[in-house]
Amino acid sequence: MHPTAYAVGLTMARKHKSVLPGFGLSLGFTLFYLSLAVLLPMAALALKAASVSLDDIGRTLGSERVQAALWLSLRTAFIAGVINVVFGLLVAWVLERYNFPGRRLLDAFVDLPFALPTAVAGIALTALYSPNGWLGSIAGIAGIKVVYTELGIIVALTFIGLPFVVRTVQPVLQDLDAEIEEAAASLGATPYQTFRYIILPHVTPALITGFTLAFARALGEYGSVVFISGNLPGKTEIAPLAIMTKLEQYDYNGAVVIAALLLVVSLIILFIINGLQAWGRKRKLA
Amino acid sequence: MAGIVTKQAKAGARRARGPRTPAQIGLVLIATVFLVVFLLLPLVVVFSEALSKGLGLYFAAITEPEAMNAIKLTLIAAGIAVPLNTLFGLGASWALAKFEFKGKSFLLSLIDLPFSVSPVVAGLIFVLLYGTQGFLGEWLADNRIRVIFAVPGIVLATMFITFPFVARELIPLMQQQGNDEELAARSLGASGWQIFRRVTLPNIKWGVLYGVILCNARAMGEFGAVSVVSGHIRGKTNTLPLHVEILYNEYQFAAAFACASLLALLALITLALKSFIEWRGHSGS
Amino acid sequence: MAIEIKNLTKRFGDFTALSGLNLNIADGELVALLGPSGSGKTTLLRIIGGLEQAEEGEVIVDGANAGTVDIRDRRVGFVFQHYALFRHMTVFDNIAFGLRVRPRNERPGKDEISKRVHDLLKLVQLERLAPRYPGQLSGGQRQRVALARALAIEPKVLLLDEPFGALDAQVRRDLRRWLRRLHDEIKLTSVFVTHDQEEALEVADRVVVMNHGKIEQVGTPVDVYHRPATPFVYAFLGDTNVFHGRLEDGSPVLVGGEPPSEKQETARMYVRPHLMDIEHDRASVESVPAKVMHINAAGPTVKVELETPLGEAIMVELTQDRFLELKLERGTEVFATPRQQQLFKKDDYVI
Repeated sequence: MHPTAYAVGLTMARKHKSVLPGFGLSLGFTLFYLSLAVLLPMAALALKAASVSLDDIGRTLGSERVQAALWLSLRTAFIAGVINVVFGLLVAWVLERYNFPGRRLLDAFVDLPFALPTAVAGIALTALYSPNGWLGSIAGIAGIKVVYTELGIIVALTFIGLPFVVRTVQPVLQDLDAEIEEAAASLGATPYQTFRYIILPHVTPALITGFTLAFARALGEYGSVVFISGNLPGKTEIAPLAIMTKLEQYDYNGAVVIAALLLVVSLIILFIINGLQAWGRKRKLA
Repeated sequence: MAGIVTKQAKAGARRARGPRTPAQIGLVLIATVFLVVFLLLPLVVVFSEALSKGLGLYFAAITEPEAMNAIKLTLIAAGIAVPLNTLFGLGASWALAKFEFKGKSFLLSLIDLPFSVSPVVAGLIFVLLYGTQGFLGEWLADNRIRVIFAVPGIVLATMFITFPFVARELIPLMQQQGNDEELAARSLGASGWQIFRRVTLPNIKWGVLYGVILCNARAMGEFGAVSVVSGHIRGKTNTLPLHVEILYNEYQFAAAFACASLLALLALITLALKSFIEWRGHSGS
Repeated sequence: MAIEIKNLTKRFGDFTALSGLNLNIADGELVALLGPSGSGKTTLLRIIGGLEQAEEGEVIVDGANAGTVDIRDRRVGFVFQHYALFRHMTVFDNIAFGLRVRPRNERPGKDEISKRVHDLLKLVQLERLAPRYPGQLSGGQRQRVALARALAIEPKVLLLDEPFGALDAQVRRDLRRWLRRLHDEIKLTSVFVTHDQEEALEVADRVVVMNHGKIEQVGTPVDVYHRPATPFVYAFLGDTNVFHGRLEDGSPVLVGGEPPSEKQETARMYVRPHLMDIEHDRASVESVPAKVMHINAAGPTVKVELETPLGEAIMVELTQDRFLELKLERGTEVFATPRQQQLFKKDDYVI
């Protein structure tokens, strides 16, 4: 559609919107329920965080154990995100582009990490990768230990994050007309050149969005990690677990400091995602 | 006799696709092996471990009183959180998809907020609000109301974690469908409730179901947030995922996996329903 | 380069898209593949371009069997229906793409690429749009960028899939003439697909009319319009009145108003609306009694819709002068007479 025609359509739609009833009621209910279920508890965290003394902040963040936990969470979430970008793109590509027996079943199973309770995923992965587990015994032959190591955390976070990348990239690949690839081929591009210069630039915003979503989820992930990580303080203790530990020690201020830090990082990520999506939309229009 | 011969149209043949070159077949194989090893094997392990000590122990593990209590509590939490969040999703999507107003995108971000909060942090905020040292702790204690380490806390945490699911599904769907049908119904004299009931709802029913299924899966499976607020009181404040954890930590692996297999089954049903709804959506209704 | 198509057959599952096709396209010719959707014209174009493989038969370009050559090495300029421009690249980068992806030893230098792209931009009259992105261009401009991009690889043949399909009527007409002039200038063997007979007749040197995966007729625009080989070609190239009649001693007999029974019918007469006349009295045995149902006088000609006593419609196009002379009104009882007709024996149209 012509851009101006589109703009005209929008303003007309806006004018018409007030004709529909129920705005006050639905918005009122939305705000009420949102306040009660989300904003009030979140405000409690904000209030508590504001009342924490600088001493407490210094004591908590200065602790080597907490620092190690935070770095571990950031590092493993990042590595898992990168792994997911590579395999997520591959999986999305294969599911979108080729027809083969079992494709639909595999496509449905991509969402398993969304649907499977994290605790179940946690104990299943632990059993699978433990030294006498199906995969752990194979890794053991190669001298690789997975369970109770950083590698185990990465495995769990990769499991949790995969659908984020696949499901963000898939619609973008769908959107990429087969004609575009045919055009590149007819102009003499090799399959690698088509991937490198045509497909990759096209899916990059989606890949970054998917990475960020997976990273944000991995940063706060708890259930699937605690079983496989072994929770060795300073070694395999992740940040959410550090919060848990502080709580069990009734160190509420310490817990709040770590929680607030995690939340701030998550919110920054959220802003990045929104920015990225706006960028992607702009590119789509351009 | 005479007649105007008009042009005829026939649908073109669909382009067949399939992996053809060795490189393409290689890609398909790598992706398939990756998905099977990485996603499918953990699921298989759950059932294999659950049945490793025989069917007798399996059924004993899932029917013992503590397991039954955990199942009951899980159903209660989901039974309260899912309908409330569905109601919220319907209201929020009507307000946000059908009307334009200032601060709309900010409101959308607020609705998304629980998605970016770590489950452990989600549990923590309820402890801060309703716990004995929390802002409302004293008042609750005076009135002998227990929230934290009790069922209400579990329900509240579950509600928080699953808050955006239905709304997030419905808002884009309703935005995409536009207002034309609702306006047409309005011009024909329908009341607001009639428009919603007879025009909007039939159009979004699959979307609602989709959101409800995802919301329910998360509500029944939530672990981190519930773990913080529950206090792990056996037979009282344990949901099924927490029960799994306790059994596992007590080295009762077969029993832990037996209970986990119920949750895995829930995941499979969720995936099947989800695929069915997506297939319905594609075949067009 | 000349294109030779021999006995080409293509199936999609049970659906036969092309069956036993033969066609020769001379060097420097501009050929239109014309037909309704599903007639196989796009499939034929895609096979010539190497985007699709045929089950049987061969495509010979410049004396060599093209079927054995990978699409990358075919040097075929393909302009896609929706242009398939790379939207994250500027117009310049789109056109330069085919040169930049060449193997290192064949790749032109940076300056050479820049010069070639600018020459092409000049050719398609878009010099000033080099730094723009496809999203910032109009449909007609995109179409020309797609064309320049296809020409950049110095193709042996140029293939265009519905080149004007996605454009507004006015832009379409302009671009049509422009393409014809461009072709006269560069003399590149070109094949384009269209479902619009006007487009095919106006632009092409020769028109290939296709239906159900077969070629109905190949000929110059004048040939196919004035001497259609089959009822399908006749009907596809314009509005048509069909009269059912029978043959007696090789000449058609059409009893006005009286339909022959299925058995008696041995021939059909096809008459274009502008080749019909209206009279107040019966002019010949072929005249059909009818009543005026609708008149549309707005336009260069007057379109009159008649209805026979049996309730069938006849379309007639009259000049404004003739219309005024006849003093027609709604409800007037008249006779419709074919002035010039195309006769098809039963064998021609019975499949």
